[in-house]
Amino acid sequence: MEIMTSNTETIPGFRITKSLGVATGSTVRAKHIGKDILAGLKNIVGGELKAYTELLMEARTEALGRMMLDAAQRGGNAVVNVRFATSSVAGGAAELFAYGTAVIVEQE
Amino acid sequence: MYDMLESEQIWLLVIYAIIFVFIAFFPTAFIYSMLFGWLHQSRRRKKLIAREQRVAAISGGDNIHTLSQPISMEKASIAGLVMTNITVSPSWWQLFLGNIKSIFGGQIKSYDKVLAYGRAEVLQRLREQALGEGWTEIINVRVETSMVMNKVKGGQQNKIGTLEFLAYGTGIK
Repeated sequence: MEIMTSNTETIPGFRITKSLGVATGSTVRAKHIGKDILAGLKNIVGGELKAYTELLMEARTEALGRMMLDAAQRGGNAVVNVRFATSSVAGGAAELFAYGTAVIVEQE
Repeated sequence: MYDMLESEQIWLLVIYAIIFVFIAFFPTAFIYSMLFGWLHQSRRRKKLIAREQRVAAISGGDNIHTLSQPISMEKASIAGLVMTNITVSPSWWQLFLGNIKSIFGGQIKSYDKVLAYGRAEVLQRLREQALGEGWTEIINVRVETSMVMNKVKGGQQNKIGTLEFLAYGTGIK
C-alpha cells in the first residue's frame, strides 16, 4: 500500500477518519571533501552548485521516506500537512527534518 | 656530486612551480570570474526563459499555484508530495561587489540577480517535474530558503554565500 503525502490540511476528495499523531523523519548529512572542492571551483563563476543540490535532495528524500515509514508503522495510509525544516549542525553538516500528521483517509 | 646538484635543482623547480600555481590561482580565478561570470549566468537565464515558454505552451498557462484547493477538478483520486531544490551562490566577483556595497548599504544588485534566478529556476523545475510525473496540477506550493552547507566555525559563517531554495507542493491527479 502506498502512503499518500500532502502539504495541505486535507486531501481534496478524501475524508480524514482518524488522526494517528505526528510522524517524523530526519537525517544528518555532511558534505564530502571532493564535492566541496568541486563546488568551490564552480563558485568562481557563480550559479548552481550541482553537487550540493543533489546531496540535499538525496538527504531530503531519505528523511521523507523515514517519515512515511513512521506513518506506516502507526497504521496510517496518508500523511497530511507535511513540513520541512533544515538546520546547520557543526562543521558543514546539515540536518534535514520532515514531519507531518499521520492519518487514515478514505475516499468520499 | 654533479648528479646530486641536478636532482636538487629539479626538486627546487618543482617546489617553485607548486608555489607559483598556488599564488597565481586566486588572482586568475578572480579575473576569470569578473570577465566571464556574467556570460555563464546569462546563458543559463536564457535557457530558463526558453524552458518556461515551452512548459507554458504545453500546460496552457500554469500548472502550479498556491491555493489549498484544486482549480481544474473537484476531487482528487491520488495525491502526493512533489519537491525540488536548487543550490545557488554568487560568483567571486559578485561577492566582492556585494561586500563593497554592504559598507554603504542599499540595494545589492549583484545578489538580486542570483536570488531571482534561483527562485525562478526552482519553480520551473517544479513545473517540469509535475509534467514528467503526470500530475494535473500542483496545489499549495511553498518556496523555502535555507542556508545550509556553510562553515559555521567562528567568523567563517556563510563565506561563499551558498543558498538553497526548496519548492514543494501537493501534486494531484
